[in-house]
Amino acid sequence: MTNTSVFSDATRVKGEPIIYLEGVDKYFGSFQALKDINMRVGHQEVVVVIGPSGSGKSTLIRCINRLEKHDRGVIRVGGVEISDDIRNIQEIRRETGMVFQQFNLFPHLTVLDNVTLAPREVRHMPRGEAEALAMQMLERVRIPEQARKYPGQLSGGQQQRVAIARALAMQPQVMLFDEPTSALDPEMIKEVLDAMVELAKSGMTMIVVTHEMGFARAVADRVVFMSDGQIVEVGTPEHFFTNPQEDRTKLFLSQIL
Amino acid sequence: MTLDDTRPAELLGPAPEPPPEEDLSPSEWVRIRLFATWYDTLFTLLFGAGFVWAARALIRYLISADFTILRVNLALLMVGRFPRDQLWRPAVALILTGLLLGLLAGAAIGSARDRAAEAGEEFSWDGWLAVVRRFWPILAFIVLTLSFTQTVSPWLVAAATLAAGAFGHWMGRTIPAGVRRYSWLIAIALLVAAFLVLITGGVGWEDWGGLQLNIFLTVAGIALAFPLGLLLALGRRSSLPALQGASVTYIEFIRGVPLITLLLLGAYALGFMLPDSLQPSRTTRILIAIALFEAAYIAEVVRGGFNAVPPGQVEASQALGMPPWKTTRLIVLPQALRATIPAMVGQFISLYKDTTLVIVVALLDILAAAQASTSQPDFLAQGLHRVTLPFVGLAFWVGSYTMSREARRLEKRLGVGER
Repeated sequence: MTNTSVFSDATRVKGEPIIYLEGVDKYFGSFQALKDINMRVGHQEVVVVIGPSGSGKSTLIRCINRLEKHDRGVIRVGGVEISDDIRNIQEIRRETGMVFQQFNLFPHLTVLDNVTLAPREVRHMPRGEAEALAMQMLERVRIPEQARKYPGQLSGGQQQRVAIARALAMQPQVMLFDEPTSALDPEMIKEVLDAMVELAKSGMTMIVVTHEMGFARAVADRVVFMSDGQIVEVGTPEHFFTNPQEDRTKLFLSQIL
Repeated sequence: MTLDDTRPAELLGPAPEPPPEEDLSPSEWVRIRLFATWYDTLFTLLFGAGFVWAARALIRYLISADFTILRVNLALLMVGRFPRDQLWRPAVALILTGLLLGLLAGAAIGSARDRAAEAGEEFSWDGWLAVVRRFWPILAFIVLTLSFTQTVSPWLVAAATLAAGAFGHWMGRTIPAGVRRYSWLIAIALLVAAFLVLITGGVGWEDWGGLQLNIFLTVAGIALAFPLGLLLALGRRSSLPALQGASVTYIEFIRGVPLITLLLLGAYALGFMLPDSLQPSRTTRILIAIALFEAAYIAEVVRGGFNAVPPGQVEASQALGMPPWKTTRLIVLPQALRATIPAMVGQFISLYKDTTLVIVVALLDILAAAQASTSQPDFLAQGLHRVTLPFVGLAFWVGSYTMSREARRLEKRLGVGER
């Protein structure tokens, strides 16, 4: 794939876009966090969003599952447009898993209960079935032996892998990652990235906000560079890292590489 | 390094040295701990003198005091004016309560054992000695109270209550898990039964008094105020302006009024507002006043707990597609309530002690009974407050101290602050 535009037809090669954003604006008070965002993410595509802090990366993916409300424009997930209707919002959230920088595991529940909670309470799955599914997901992130422990008893890397399993247990169509390794000690970053790489290879559609350029190179179909609330440049990792077009991209890359 | 580490010793390096032990001879201990500097010496002497003085005063008091007033008025202090020919009712209620508490404690141990078995861990029950150590203040108070009785029946009641508690405990431990799941239902049934025994046969709770009244007002007050406080706290967080406004107004209004005012209002003013056909008894009105008052404080305590739950918890739950009320019930509330245990128990303790304020509306709680006994002809003007008031104080102290210790236990078990 050599597409350089989010609107390139190449995204449709893998199928219809699951995520569709058009003309999205977002304000915090008088500060404009997102400016005219247009983006499509196709089925099984992995999009990595990078950019300096405060550039709106997190806000962008938080708008996709309505943790933040966008002020203008259209966001569609799996063909459903996000509106103010709570049922509509929940429908979208069921199909989009999210992994947070700070893990946000539920400290009063065991690992197993963390993972089974949403399937049981939202999908009304019987306990036994939910636990079998949860164990499957925990095995996928290579952590099944910790199922009976509480999050506080695990390392940061283990917690983040549980968080991935928790999101996967809802069997979402899309996974959103909000700087999943930024709060981790260096020696734990790899185990989380490994889990994410495997997930990407299994065909999951992913939008990943990260500073891990190695990960972007390895698995991203496209890299999106954001600055000051705008999408500045989009490209394949190869194109993006070796031949950036925009000055802001070049400046950013020179600072981090 | 684990026990089954098979590497040769030289590869493991030297064994870690144990931390140095503090080894002080008695004379060194005295010098370092008590007389290290001139101000240490000063404090040691001052506190030493104070301690000796207090100990002497206590011993002299215990030797010289005449506890006859407590012996004669023990029933008054415990149950107030409860009809003396009906005293079997509180006795039966007490035995049922013992059974119920034992059952719940035993069932808790049974489930802990099952959970440990499931996780493949060892489990052993601490035994009765641990129970005694846990509740010694209450047990000591019971023994003290029994030592003032002039008949044998209170001893029998106490023995029967203990036996019922032990039986309930055994039952709770041994019943199969399927039945155990419903032990709280049995407990509620027992509670209702105890209550019915107390109030049927013409003895309304307006006849209640003494320590029984204080405990009843505390337990019923908590049972009513806690859910109401929870609703108020949820209302205060609500996104509906009317609900939020009403909650805030209620909380701020009640918190601005002294409890004593509400008690007087409940006792004397409520009657004018209600039709004659709907006149609750004075005890009921006081209970309502206490519950309404406490609910406002509990709401604020719970609000503090809500604020202690990181916003990321709510976001994580929302991101999973959980509906708002399930997020509140399953994610926010458990964490919020856990964080409020210390403040909540502080509130319960102050409620327990505040029940003595019912003296202003002429209910005969334990403090009022103590005051009444010192005005009896036999005991008038002999300075016997120094006998009755310490006893009353002790009754409150054992309850408050036990609540506080149990709260600390609970906090530890739930791992507050160990995130």
